[in-house]
Amino acid sequence: MALTKTPAEEAFGVALPHRRMEEWRWTDLRARIDKPYPTQEIAVTDKDVARLMATSPFAKLTTHRIVFVNGSLDQARSNFAGLTFELGVPSSSEVDDPVIHLNSAIEPSGLTLRFDATMDVPVEIIHIATSGVVRAMALRNRIEVGEGASATIIETFVGEGDYVLNAVTEIQVGAGARLDRVKVELESHDATHLSYIDCTLAKDAKLNEFTLTSGSALNRQNGNYLFAGENANALIAGAYLLNGKQHADTRLVMDHKVPHCTSREMFKCVMDENARGIFQGKVIVRKHAQKTDGKQSSHALLLSESAEFDAKPELEIYADDVVCGHGATAGDINHDHLFYLQSRGIPAAEAKSLLIGAFVGEAFDGIVNDAMREAMVDFAENWLTARKAK
Amino acid sequence: MLEISNLHVKLEYEPREILKGLSLNVKAGEVHAIMGPNGSGKSTLSYVLSGRDGYEVTEGSVTFKGEDLLAMDPNERAAKGVFLAFQYPIEIPGVATMQFLKVALNAQRKARGEKELSIPDFMRFVKERAAKLNISQEMLKRPVNVGFSGGEKKRAEILQMAVLEPSLCVLDETDSGLDIDALKVVADGVNALRSPDRAMIVITHYQRLLDYIVPDFVHVLSAGKIVKSGGKELALELEANGYAEFVEKVA
Repeated sequence: MALTKTPAEEAFGVALPHRRMEEWRWTDLRARIDKPYPTQEIAVTDKDVARLMATSPFAKLTTHRIVFVNGSLDQARSNFAGLTFELGVPSSSEVDDPVIHLNSAIEPSGLTLRFDATMDVPVEIIHIATSGVVRAMALRNRIEVGEGASATIIETFVGEGDYVLNAVTEIQVGAGARLDRVKVELESHDATHLSYIDCTLAKDAKLNEFTLTSGSALNRQNGNYLFAGENANALIAGAYLLNGKQHADTRLVMDHKVPHCTSREMFKCVMDENARGIFQGKVIVRKHAQKTDGKQSSHALLLSESAEFDAKPELEIYADDVVCGHGATAGDINHDHLFYLQSRGIPAAEAKSLLIGAFVGEAFDGIVNDAMREAMVDFAENWLTARKAK
Repeated sequence: MLEISNLHVKLEYEPREILKGLSLNVKAGEVHAIMGPNGSGKSTLSYVLSGRDGYEVTEGSVTFKGEDLLAMDPNERAAKGVFLAFQYPIEIPGVATMQFLKVALNAQRKARGEKELSIPDFMRFVKERAAKLNISQEMLKRPVNVGFSGGEKKRAEILQMAVLEPSLCVLDETDSGLDIDALKVVADGVNALRSPDRAMIVITHYQRLLDYIVPDFVHVLSAGKIVKSGGKELALELEANGYAEFVEKVA
């Protein structure tokens, strides 16, 4: 039965997912996006862009930067030196997913980045939303790491005001290639951030990924990781640092199509006040994907009585010789840990910060680049300092 | 230094009383051993002194250096100089031992209005003390107590004590789970900290530890009270005769 179109759906021209769809049961986009977000360009000032750009935890860490401002590529502020790229939205076939349909409807801008050798320095793709009228913006980028090549990509999202940002990233990690990817979602507290990662791993490919979710009012990140070549290996780590009424919902699908691949998912989620976190992880092991090693875990630390966490692990296994598992925990700060720290002279508030930092820090451990990992540790520390000051 | 007077303690959510009028005076420079059978209230005493949640003091008082110890938060007690070496040291994943020591020492110094140690001074300070306890640099980098053997955990407790330099050390069953070599290392570490300004309460079930940490006084705790006090020879008497005499006396 078709639902009556909401004003937002009228404006977008596509239907939004709602809670009667199993994958969206915790995140009713149709109800949550309660007003139209038109696509429109707004005037920006250099000052606003520079100020927001500096809020990236990686601002000083690299000079290789691709800058999008309010949904459009800003070539003047980008530094393409040493990069191989092709402007324009990649023309790959459309995946049937509500986030991607919405992305198309908003008419994204984007580019394709290609790495054919080893690139030692990280490349940051940053999206900056400046404050202005209520609006929707979209990006669609493609990252290709060629055979035997390696690259480090940072995707940063910062902004101010009330907007919807929809970012689709297609990733192709070639045979024997390696991609380190870090995504930090530090959107405006009034924003809605929707993203989709469509990733394909070839033979012996390695993906090492970390995502931080801490900015937007509403975050939904979808990811589909296709293991298309044997011995491919993916580590997907994530962290939530949420407070207020923030809502973050991650849904990842590890699609093991061929034998001997490894997938690891590890999410550490911190929810304070009325925040709500969700982790939905699905591992599909197709019939011929013997010797698949797929494990996922999600751990939640609830810092208030009204914070909430939901986890939904799903295993869909058609092969008979695999090792797959999942684990989920949720709880508040361990009182024995707290007492032990206090008994050594550390005041309760400081002890709590230390414990929360340690909890979420496990998700940063996989970040290979020391400076990038440190930037995440610093971000968490600042978040905790702000929390303590409340 | 420490005056415990007619202390009555029960669990917060249970009516059962665990300490039933315990009194003890400890002066600077003294080492007191508290011995007793399982369930006599030994660990409860250590937790009440360090300020753990879950216990309710229904009667009596504890005064430390002239102040009401029971009115203080655990971290305030630590900054005033109370240290509990845990029977079962807690594992804290994600917090490196060195970082933990630094945060703890600086928090105590700050609470006392002292300046924080510079990082090089702090590193030197810890390394000297770690070396004496056979604690490697690698161990200091590991998260607090995570993956430590029983002996390593106890040595790490003594290292914390050596770094924090408390004036009252409460050692709760520090000998449990230690073989004789580990026990000697731990006892040497404790003995090195004996000083005229520092008092110690050594809680133990067995006399063995007291061969290495020789106490000035021995008290027998049974059913929540000190039922006998004496010199170090009392420990040997207990070793020979067991606790039966005292358990029956109360029953």
